[in-house]
Amino acid sequence: MASKGPVEGPSIGFDFSNYARNQYLGQTMGGLPKATSTGTTIVGMKFGGGDSGEEEGIVLGADTRATAGSIVADKNCEKIHYLTPNMRCCGAGTAADTEFVTNLISSNLELHALSQGKPARVVTAMTMLKQYLFRYQGHVGAYLVLGGVDSTGAHLFAVQAHGSTDKLPYMTLGSGSLAAMAMFESSFKQNMKREEAIALVARAIRAGVFNDLGSGSNVDVAVITKAGTEMLRNYEMPNERGVKSRNYKFRRGTTAWTKEDVRNLLVSEEVAVTAGAGKLQDTTEASQGMEVDA
Amino acid sequence: MSSIGTGYDLSVSTYSPDGRLFQVEYAGKAVEAAGVAIGLRCSDGVVLGVERILHSKLLVKGANRRIQSLDDSIGLASAGLLADGVHLADRGRDEVWNFRETYNAPIPTQILADRLSMYVQAYTAYSSVRPFGVSSLVAGVDKTGPRLFCIEPSGVFYGYRGYAVGKGAVLARTELEKAVGKETEEGGVALTCREGVLEVARIIHLVHDDNKDKEFELEMTWISPESNMKHAVVPADLLAEADAKGKAALEEGMEED
Amino acid sequence: MAVQFDGGVVIGADSRTTTGAYIANRVTDKLTHIHDRIYCCRSGSAADTQAVADAVHQHCQVYTAVYGGPPPVATVAAMFEKLCYENKDQLTAGIIVAGWDEEGGGVFNIPVGGGIFQQPWAIGGSGSTYVYGYCDATYKEGWNEAETVEFVRNTLALAMSRDGSSGGTIRMCVITKDKVERHFVPGNKLPRFWEGKEVLAQAPKPSIAVA
Repeated sequence: MASKGPVEGPSIGFDFSNYARNQYLGQTMGGLPKATSTGTTIVGMKFGGGDSGEEEGIVLGADTRATAGSIVADKNCEKIHYLTPNMRCCGAGTAADTEFVTNLISSNLELHALSQGKPARVVTAMTMLKQYLFRYQGHVGAYLVLGGVDSTGAHLFAVQAHGSTDKLPYMTLGSGSLAAMAMFESSFKQNMKREEAIALVARAIRAGVFNDLGSGSNVDVAVITKAGTEMLRNYEMPNERGVKSRNYKFRRGTTAWTKEDVRNLLVSEEVAVTAGAGKLQDTTEASQGMEVDA
Repeated sequence: MSSIGTGYDLSVSTYSPDGRLFQVEYAGKAVEAAGVAIGLRCSDGVVLGVERILHSKLLVKGANRRIQSLDDSIGLASAGLLADGVHLADRGRDEVWNFRETYNAPIPTQILADRLSMYVQAYTAYSSVRPFGVSSLVAGVDKTGPRLFCIEPSGVFYGYRGYAVGKGAVLARTELEKAVGKETEEGGVALTCREGVLEVARIIHLVHDDNKDKEFELEMTWISPESNMKHAVVPADLLAEADAKGKAALEEGMEED
Repeated sequence: MAVQFDGGVVIGADSRTTTGAYIANRVTDKLTHIHDRIYCCRSGSAADTQAVADAVHQHCQVYTAVYGGPPPVATVAAMFEKLCYENKDQLTAGIIVAGWDEEGGGVFNIPVGGGIFQQPWAIGGSGSTYVYGYCDATYKEGWNEAETVEFVRNTLALAMSRDGSSGGTIRMCVITKDKVERHFVPGNKLPRFWEGKEVLAQAPKPSIAVA
């Protein structure tokens, strides 16, 4: 190891040697710099029902970072996709696949609702998604958290790209799912109130945003109840670009010079028409022709 | 048959103006002209019997059987064009195999009758084919008990307690009604297979017209406890007894007349 | 796992679903409804087994409509086997079909690749290899319902304790002519009878919660 702590011998475990420096910097800079999370985190949970005194519903959450390898391709994309007025679907995996599969199923659900004369149920959406994804044997890389409220209540499903589904009261998917799951596993309770649920979902997404390199930027939330869907786009924006404490523009005159040379870039030329054989003749002929025509 | 020559009988896919399919009705005539076939559902099984009219003295004894096995416990007796009966039985064996392959279980008699009837019906709906010239009795024992069905050339099929098709069927059915009638009486019970064999043989002898028809052989099968609930030919001794008793009953009846 | 007893069957499974080293679902229900009195236990690929079970579920609904009664367990097993065998190149599905019909309880094992085996008891999945010996040595014919439930619970707990890919909770289901009754054993109430006297003395008595 190149760095050696203040104690002699090989360094083992955490190295706190920069702790004091960081504290000092924090004091002089007006607070420690905010952590900027340098995939995807999507979550969903059920709330209400039971003796909560609220009607049951679903809260979905997603971060807004889209990546292309190690490049952040979009800093504020939308990962909560529309299916029907009472159903939304969070997508992780291949962005194009989640976009197209949700669009396709959304349109099929609309047709289904029209033909049946009643809104489609969440299980219907789940079945359509799983059968479509199973047919493509995982090559359509859509990992989805599907939530909605229908005539039979509030339902939450996870749909994996290979076509398997799970039904759970809360769930997380994407590269940040482990961080987000930690929040649910420690804080989820049955029959939470709407505001508690939104706060927990936002916290789970923040866990992904800050602890997972693949996730980042803002927190999108969708709340679905019997009354309808409330899309809380950019519910939290914990990564807004701050005001720079200094101006990095160079002042005029920063660069020294030794010589000044101003050149005129305009070029003026005079063209003298010489009496070439063809030129005059042409003119005459043209004028004659014009006369004839007239 | 006032319909003959009206032009509506040229194709099976053409209705007559009063809604009949003459070709199907003609197929029924082919059945009426053939030797009788009788099925009787008993308390413990089913009995099938046919009169096999011998059109030549050169025929080998017991040849040209009219009753066939479709499954372990299902038999089919047909009256009409023998070749059509054989073809339908072939199809029946395909259905038996197909059901067993799909469901790992023996086909219920009613399902087999249903599938065969669908097959027969298809031959009444295309101008390129002729309807089946047979009425078939499907007898079987499954977990619902002893069952007997008759499939007509039109494709309809009905379940029966006893039924007869072919020449003399009308008289045979009247006799069957008497036999079956005992079952419906107060405290009455259906015949056993053993009794059924005698009864069926008696009726076959009764309806056989000695003056018009040539000699016939009595062909009988059953699905009974004595055959271990499998479709099998009635044992030779019992068949001989039934044949003799049938003949005797006939002569007795003649004396009364 | 599924075990036959006089008048019905008891089926059971752990509740763990994994993607690599991550437990994607710790309360999975692997006891899948196929018909009124017929269930299956799924092991292998979740996507494959769910798809096959859904297909057979649909077949059964058609069967009931056409033939006017519930399909026998053997028939449902044959439907599973057909799908599993004919698509063996594309499926990873080990399925145990169990249920009640007019013949009584029935257990059919359909291993990965197809084939159909009727057995008084059947085990499958990654954890099953650990408990073949236990089942062979313990199973006896003629158990009643309670004894059979006990056997299933103990077998599953043993498998879950040895197999890393199994775990979580125990879900069981008793299927007879009259009922389909679910049992649930939470993760902290699993039997631990094999752990020795010292541990056992402190362990809470296992009990079954009837859902």
